[in-house]
Amino acid sequence: MAPPPAPPQKSPSPSQPSGKSEVSDLKLQLRQLAGSRAPGADDSKRDLFKRVISYMTVGIDVSAAFSEMVMCSATSDIVLKKMCYLYVGNYARCHPDLALLTINFLQKDCHDEDPMIRGLALRSLCSLRVPNLVEYLVAPLGAGLKDGSSYVRMVAAVGVLKLYHISAATCFDSDFPAVLKSLMLTDPDAQVVANCLFVLQEIWNLEANKSEEASRERETLLSKKLVYYLLNRIKEFNEWAQCLVLELVAKYIPSDSDDIFDIMNLLEDRLQHANGAVVLATIKVFLHLTMSMTDVHQQVYERIKAPLLTLVGSGSSEQSYAVLSHLHLLVMRAPMLFSSDYKHFYCQFSDPSYVKKLKLEMLTAIANESNTYEIVTELCEYAGNVDVPIARESIRAVGKIALQQYDVNAIVDRLLQFLEMEKDYVTAETLVLVKDLLRKYPQWSHDCIAVVGNISSKNVQEPKAKAALIWMLGEYSQDMPDAPYILESLIENWDEENAAEVRLHLLTAAMKCFFKRPPETQKALGAALAAGLADSHQDVHDRALFYYRLLQYDVSVAERVVNPPKQAVSVFADTQSSEIKDRIFDEFNSLSVVYQKPSYMFTDKEHREPFEFSEEIGNLSLGQESVGNARRYDESDKDLLLSTSEREENGGPNTNGPAAAGYSAPPDYNSSLVSLSSQTQSETAISDPGMPKHTSQMTLAIDDLLGLSVPAALAPPSLKLNPKAVLDPGTFQRKWGQLAVSISQDCSISPQGVAALTTPQALIRHMQASSIQCIASGGQSPNFKFFFFAQKLDGPPSFFLMECIINTSSAKAQVKIKADDATASEAFFALFQSALSKFGVL
Amino acid sequence: MLQCLFFLSDSGEVMLEKQMTGHRVDRSICAWFWDYVLSQGGDPSKILPVVASPTHYLFQLFRDGIIFLACTQVEMPPLMGIEFLRRVADVLTDYLGGLNEDLIKDNFIIVYELLDEMMDNGFPLTTEPNILREMITPPNIVSKMLSVVTGKNSNVSTRLPDATASCIPWRKTNMKHASNEIYVNLVEEIDAVFSRDGALVKCEIYGEVQVDSHLPGLPDLTLSFSNPSILNDMRFHPCVRFRPWESDQILSFVPPDGEFKLMSYRVKKLKSTPIYVKPHLTSDTGNCHINVLVGVRNDPGKTIDSITVQFQLPFCVASANLTSNHGTVNILADKTWSWSIGQIPKDKSPSLSGNLVLEKGLQIHRLDIKNAPSQPYKGFRALTQAGEYEVRS
Repeated sequence: MAPPPAPPQKSPSPSQPSGKSEVSDLKLQLRQLAGSRAPGADDSKRDLFKRVISYMTVGIDVSAAFSEMVMCSATSDIVLKKMCYLYVGNYARCHPDLALLTINFLQKDCHDEDPMIRGLALRSLCSLRVPNLVEYLVAPLGAGLKDGSSYVRMVAAVGVLKLYHISAATCFDSDFPAVLKSLMLTDPDAQVVANCLFVLQEIWNLEANKSEEASRERETLLSKKLVYYLLNRIKEFNEWAQCLVLELVAKYIPSDSDDIFDIMNLLEDRLQHANGAVVLATIKVFLHLTMSMTDVHQQVYERIKAPLLTLVGSGSSEQSYAVLSHLHLLVMRAPMLFSSDYKHFYCQFSDPSYVKKLKLEMLTAIANESNTYEIVTELCEYAGNVDVPIARESIRAVGKIALQQYDVNAIVDRLLQFLEMEKDYVTAETLVLVKDLLRKYPQWSHDCIAVVGNISSKNVQEPKAKAALIWMLGEYSQDMPDAPYILESLIENWDEENAAEVRLHLLTAAMKCFFKRPPETQKALGAALAAGLADSHQDVHDRALFYYRLLQYDVSVAERVVNPPKQAVSVFADTQSSEIKDRIFDEFNSLSVVYQKPSYMFTDKEHREPFEFSEEIGNLSLGQESVGNARRYDESDKDLLLSTSEREENGGPNTNGPAAAGYSAPPDYNSSLVSLSSQTQSETAISDPGMPKHTSQMTLAIDDLLGLSVPAALAPPSLKLNPKAVLDPGTFQRKWGQLAVSISQDCSISPQGVAALTTPQALIRHMQASSIQCIASGGQSPNFKFFFFAQKLDGPPSFFLMECIINTSSAKAQVKIKADDATASEAFFALFQSALSKFGVL
Repeated sequence: MLQCLFFLSDSGEVMLEKQMTGHRVDRSICAWFWDYVLSQGGDPSKILPVVASPTHYLFQLFRDGIIFLACTQVEMPPLMGIEFLRRVADVLTDYLGGLNEDLIKDNFIIVYELLDEMMDNGFPLTTEPNILREMITPPNIVSKMLSVVTGKNSNVSTRLPDATASCIPWRKTNMKHASNEIYVNLVEEIDAVFSRDGALVKCEIYGEVQVDSHLPGLPDLTLSFSNPSILNDMRFHPCVRFRPWESDQILSFVPPDGEFKLMSYRVKKLKSTPIYVKPHLTSDTGNCHINVLVGVRNDPGKTIDSITVQFQLPFCVASANLTSNHGTVNILADKTWSWSIGQIPKDKSPSLSGNLVLEKGLQIHRLDIKNAPSQPYKGFRALTQAGEYEVRS
């Protein structure tokens, strides 16, 4: 993620000094005061320093006064010292040569008799962050770590981390990590211990990829001995240090169930801590420890319920927001957990919208047989809310609950009452929902159609609602006496209709109506087709043309294509895969929960926590594509049901991405077929919107549609691979970073293959037989991750790199291929697929 | 790990910047954030607490016209960021005697000093006000007087807090006091929602036991309640020992010096509330008559005061003319009306349109102090206040 171009700096407002003259004036005054020992000199210095710092604070560059400030720094006044430290810390980096001037007085202060001054001086010294002054840091830091005052030791511990960031080599040469380690295990002051832990974690996390020793050191941070040592002292730590320790414990792998119960007993009272961050961190420990013990895990859910509800209700709305995001995650895994506590999620008038929105999601998620009536009653209250976006959300929530099949009868009545409220946005939202409901519960059509028929189409303006209304007019035209005439009047106003989505639906509805009531609709259909053919929107034009030709070809075939008998939709596709949800759950108590995305989708590579899923390959996998991924999920999140045209608009980048590039049919013909194929899909069964559609599948679908016979198996690929291909990991990593993804696709694995995939090695050996080598692998059942590579046998050296993520529970493999020669990657993928299909069979 | 803190005014101006780590965060992030606020309608109080900018993840907290903005690029527990900002706001409010732009600008040196002690290299250190106050003296009138008299005006104490050396981190080892007293304040908040026909939809009570302690030496206190069974989910100050509470529902603790929150709790379900609000709406073409009645449901035995009724009229209301037979009616922004009633008079029920203060809930049974050299003064006060009292119409 590239930083945005820096916006132009705001020009200083009139009240601020315009710059140079002020600064030179300050410099002059400071110079005069520098050597003065007159009484009151400190007071005047203080005023001047204050002015300098206030300029610095508002963002004016006062670095020009650097040497004067340093000259004035010889003082015994601690406030002056602090201001000076602040100033020096801010500007030392851009004046490394002048920073040398400060070393002297900072080093002197490091020997002051007052521990506070020693600590502050050491902190400032380490915060200069000037690489060529590193040599001056080592001695004071070493002394600081042995200082008699815990305050100084605490500052020195963090100072080691600062030194590490300036010069890791110096840090290791001085053996500071070892000193920290012994301090961590022996220091009587808990804050010193916590700071040592914090620093060691940071250092070893960053070093772990570079050396064996460092990754061993990182392991020791998770050793039983250390974890118990910290747990036994946990009450001595302050709240923030407790969070740190708890984060560490959450990563600890207990040896047996006694271990687990010991830890939980030690931590039980942390659930009653006043700081919400401590409570949430404790909950994470409990959930992670008991992951493998189903019964206990359930008890943990019961135990953490009350503290979580308290966190939601008391405290700030910011806290409620963060905690509600976590509850949402929990409720996905344990739907019954909060089913009797639904009242805690009722919205308060004064809740900010972001909290209300999450509460609505919670209410939707916890609705079941026992509480649906109350929850829906409550949600209906919000439909008349003054806050329109929330009113809309709550209507949608009612619809989602209805789609979950609880007490549909009562809900349909409520929805129909919404239509009688005669508020435009309520009507609009409700129409969309009624459409979804009818697709799932066709048996309710009579009740719904009676009410929908009374809605004047003039009162419906929002494209989505209008499209829904038109869809119902077409689908149920036999039950609505006025349907042909309403459609006719809508078609008459074709030119005023801005949304292509609505025009597309008008075409289809006119067709459907025509098949049911030909004499009444013929004229309207003719007008619609004529208008559609003249339409400037490509999809509308194509659909009209397609319908026209279809009708010309054979009316009964046209009816079968446009208006086939439909099955009720049983389950609407979930917007996020369960794998992703599990992944987010692993990252409980982190920002990923708030964003509802695993962290690999949004954090930068260099900042990611290396403690995650298969470290050694984790580092290879991140690049631009993860951003694309995240966006894809976002888009598919937008609506419960994606209508055709919408998918084409929103999902444009997906369908037109790598797939369109390799596709070479005539453009207009092509796109109408594509739109049809996805239309039939969305009308009969909702395909997984998260799944990208790609060349081979698309071709298959279209071939199928045209009645072409599809060969049962793919033809053997012509590509030949070098059976002895060699690639070192460094080159792999570099190539992986440089090349663009040429293919990104899902494929399925045979049941035999799933059964054979008990360890990554099984697949690695199998692939070797097909000249596909593995360079890194990781994970455990059900999730595996592989990095493969292969080399073309003849011609110039050309490599294929591949990332393959396999989930055995869904029998799916997600494949990303990058290649030196992107044109050949299609053939390589085919080869890989055929090899994969044989896995476990032989 | 927070990389940087910014304070912004409610017009988006950067008032203060504190870099925490070697990765400097450019000020341009504030400009991005402010554009984001404007794109969301310009009201900082309605912005999500966690926002993703193209380069950083931002935590933001809006308090008293000041936006506290923290930036990070790494994964971290969200509540840690949010809670820390809240502590910063609380500590500053405590130190400066309030929070606004001018106070921050006038005292920015103190703010820097405090931030320096509260966080080092992006990791929170101490946020306990009692300990901070020993390191950095608050800018109060007494210290100003002292500086005039003695000619010294350092606001930094010359000694480090003893607590850093004590085994009880929240208390000095050797405390001497002229006064010898402790005050306990019980504050409970009722949040309730009623349906339009007056039925109770939801009622929650949150309580806090606040203590202001000025006791010498190392006093060991126990506090017991006469009806602890109504408590639901408690959270305690670190000074409270967990075992005595587990076994006997007794709070046993060595208090920090000064004001602190001993415990907070939730009260189990309540069936009725002390006051009622009955809105009545009748309408005919284009005209709507509103009538709101407020009264005491069952006399709690104590006076209820500072009752305020607030309600928002929908945007379709063009004008409104509301009067009351008691108290004053004011119009706030966004068609929000506020009706201050004060105390409910005995002879009539106020009619028209609740923050209210009333008394109910947990009662203190007794407080024993052991280990104290002389008999101290014990002060108790119990107070229930309505948080959100919401009636639908």
